[in-house]
Amino acid sequence: MKKFGKALYLVLIILFLYLPIGTLMVLSFNQSKSMSVWSGFSLKWYKEMFNNPMIMEAVWNTFTIALIAAAAATVIGTVACIGIAAMKKNGRNTVMALTNIPMLNADIVTGISLMMTFLVFGISLSRGTVLLSHITFCLPYVILSVMPKVQQTTTLTYEAALDLGASPVYAFWKVVIPEIRPGIVSGFLLSFTMSVDDFVITHFTRGAGINTISTLIYSQVKVGIRPTLFALSTLIFVTVLVLLVASNLSGGEKPSRGKKILSAAASVMVIVILGGVLFASGITTKTSGDEVYVYSFGDYIDPELVNEFEEETGIKVIMDTFDTNEEMYPVIKNESVNYDVICASDYMITKLADEGLLAEINRENIPNYNNLLDEYMKAADASFDKGNRYSVPHTIGDLGILYNTNTVKPGEITSWNDLWKKQYSQRIVMPDSVRDTMAIALKAKGYSLNSTNEAEVTEAADYLIAQKPLVYKYANDSARDLILGGSVDIAVVWSGEVLYTQEENPDLAFVIPKEGTEQFTDAWAVPAAARNKKNGELWINFMLDKKVAEKNFNYLTYSIPNQAVLDYVADDENAMSILFPEASILEKCEALENLGTEGDDLYSVQWKRFKS
Amino acid sequence: MASSLIELRNISKSFEDTLVLDDFNLTVNENEFITLLGPSGCGKTTTLRIVGGFETPDSGQVFFEGKDITNVPPNKRHLNTVFQKYALFPHMSIEQNIAFGLKISGKTDQYIKDKVKYALKLVNLDGFEKRKIDSLSGGQQQRIAMARAIVNEPKLLLLDEPLGALDLKLRQDMQYELIRLKNELGITFLYVTHDQEEPLTMSDKVVVMNGGRIQQMGTPEEIYNEPENAFVADFIGDSNIIDGMMMEDRVVKICDTIFPCIDEGFGKRKPVDVVVRPEDIIIGKPGNGRIDGEIVHNVFIGVHYEMEIEAGGFTWLAQNTESFPVGTKVSIDVEPENIQIMHKPQTKEEEAIELDV
Repeated sequence: MKKFGKALYLVLIILFLYLPIGTLMVLSFNQSKSMSVWSGFSLKWYKEMFNNPMIMEAVWNTFTIALIAAAAATVIGTVACIGIAAMKKNGRNTVMALTNIPMLNADIVTGISLMMTFLVFGISLSRGTVLLSHITFCLPYVILSVMPKVQQTTTLTYEAALDLGASPVYAFWKVVIPEIRPGIVSGFLLSFTMSVDDFVITHFTRGAGINTISTLIYSQVKVGIRPTLFALSTLIFVTVLVLLVASNLSGGEKPSRGKKILSAAASVMVIVILGGVLFASGITTKTSGDEVYVYSFGDYIDPELVNEFEEETGIKVIMDTFDTNEEMYPVIKNESVNYDVICASDYMITKLADEGLLAEINRENIPNYNNLLDEYMKAADASFDKGNRYSVPHTIGDLGILYNTNTVKPGEITSWNDLWKKQYSQRIVMPDSVRDTMAIALKAKGYSLNSTNEAEVTEAADYLIAQKPLVYKYANDSARDLILGGSVDIAVVWSGEVLYTQEENPDLAFVIPKEGTEQFTDAWAVPAAARNKKNGELWINFMLDKKVAEKNFNYLTYSIPNQAVLDYVADDENAMSILFPEASILEKCEALENLGTEGDDLYSVQWKRFKS
Repeated sequence: MASSLIELRNISKSFEDTLVLDDFNLTVNENEFITLLGPSGCGKTTTLRIVGGFETPDSGQVFFEGKDITNVPPNKRHLNTVFQKYALFPHMSIEQNIAFGLKISGKTDQYIKDKVKYALKLVNLDGFEKRKIDSLSGGQQQRIAMARAIVNEPKLLLLDEPLGALDLKLRQDMQYELIRLKNELGITFLYVTHDQEEPLTMSDKVVVMNGGRIQQMGTPEEIYNEPENAFVADFIGDSNIIDGMMMEDRVVKICDTIFPCIDEGFGKRKPVDVVVRPEDIIIGKPGNGRIDGEIVHNVFIGVHYEMEIEAGGFTWLAQNTESFPVGTKVSIDVEPENIQIMHKPQTKEEEAIELDV
């Protein structure tokens, strides 16, 4: 019994430690994009990963920065340790305390203070500033791991070496360094992993277009993390595992010949992987030296298009990504980086244009402008960009109802009010976000989803409260997986997610309710501070190209208001209904608008009442 | 007469505010085994480190074969050191450790190989070439440290408490080893220790140090039998140090009793310190000696018994092969030549030294 308890305990610990990684590894081989449905073994995410220049460049950046930073920190730290060890006791304790303090600092403090320092001294953020920052925060860790070794041994053996006739330099290399080597190696490895791990400090100190794996992953949160990143994580985990095993084998008391060969093989493997990454990343793409700085939501275009653009125009693309509009806004406002073209959501376009941060787009430079669908340009004109002066739509999405036709008759759901029918009790997922959730209730009641009329908003909140007993869960990103997994039969989702969800379960149907819905537009715009406005417009023109738009559509499955995409899906009734709602419904669709402070307060009070 | 190999002239050295060596002078002759002896903090190790080149004196000079080497770095000096904690290189094999100095001086591979083999044989560790340092016992490490130093054929070997970390039996064995090595190699040994017995066994000359100064210098016999002051007497072996009064030449009064002695020139009615070694106290029947007393303590410590005798208001430490049980009434006497008369410390500094002891 005791034995069984022990075994169970061990199994539980191992499960806790390795189940998450195991899950991730399994999902990286999943044919589908879903996290809940296994639709067959596939290597396609790995293929896509190696073909994605942004990922490859992030990998390259991550490991080169980590290697250089760790090496530099190790050298500087080791030299410092030898100096510190030679100091008198009081001085030594003071210096050690000073070097230890930065380790206790929160990353966010270190990151912001480094960024401020760079900016104050007029150093523009770039790969170099990331590298400097990493060296800075790795240094204390090197000192921490080398110092004990230095104090333990070296003065004695160093003197012994001198006594035997060694010059100070010879004694240093032949006696001191070998003796403190374990400390140096662990300091280097610690620095390397700290650097690879770091997100916060990198985030604050990186320049335009510099992504590491962690910043890249964070920037993809908006559109959901693609399984390519599972594949990447799996590869990194396996690499680290191999390295660890190898270093454990070679770190033993007496390294045998076989173990040496093994560790050599592991090193070769790492070099090959890094080399392969370098090769695949196409660092050496030939360009005319001309550049375009692009700032967009993470994973929001087909990554192959970057290469195609570079080949077609000879202009090098510096691609930078963000997660939310709010993250992008201060960058543009403060001109921290001068981007040539950005992608932003409707309400943010209005805000930026109102503040004079956008340049008017010169349509003469964009011959492909004619490929855009008129009705969407009119909608944009009517809501977020008067006269279509500042923006060109990239993607469009509508909030709608996804339901399972096995349990809900096709065509049975046509209105938002259907979500209040008792027959669907406990089979509904609703969004969990103030404006989206309120929009549903407001639209159901026939009001504008930007209403600031207190009576209307209160009525909408009451309506939501009445719906509560029927709702299985309020959820945003997991709605799709809940319906795929069969937990619910009805879910409110964005139109862009529907097509690939249907690939996994063809019995799912989507409807945009007849009352109209919330519609978002993400659009390209050129900042007023762009260094190279023309290249920005060239990028927009390229995005509007028929083939490019079609390719983007296939990658994203979001609606793209381009004649090519419309033609491409014209024969597919289902896709048409999802992507291009009928004119009668489209008329009733609205984009979210800024409500002002009073409006925000009103919504927030009602939302709290609903949530409590 | 052997010529001078190392000469320290007027060496002074302070660490922060502590004066460690105070106008220190010492000459070491060729082929001598000389021991610096003293309690910790007496300056003996600093002296050794100044000779080795690891410390620079604040003032004074170091001469090696007549040349001033005060500012020559350690790696340019023709001497080697056996360090207190051996300071072997843990990442090297034994062979590499021993060959370290030879490689630097550019000897041929064959020479190095032979020399290493020879050195290992000399320290009774044949065949240990490929072993790792951490697989050795303390005594073996000590021998390797010796071997590593002597393969370089230094003129002078500095030994910094080399036996300090070894257990008693091993220490005794190693003492004989050191004497043998010194005789075989003909190298001058400058040996530092705080153990009072080691130098008596091994040295040609013993330098007793305290407070950065030499207290007495001489052969082991001289140091033991004729300590010049209470510090030396107390530090070397066990002693009875008694307040006495020099009545006139060859007559001293101890515990109100007149003892004949052989010392002269202390003047008349002068207070002195009197040293009597415990083994020199003759125990007899009451009335047969100079003072009568009683055994108050008795313990067997191996070859002989160590007893405390209460006599004349002083507790005498005595050693004898014959045992007298506690409570026995006895008398004590001392042969005149076994009474050592010393001046009372004159200056406050000397007084302080005495109190310290």
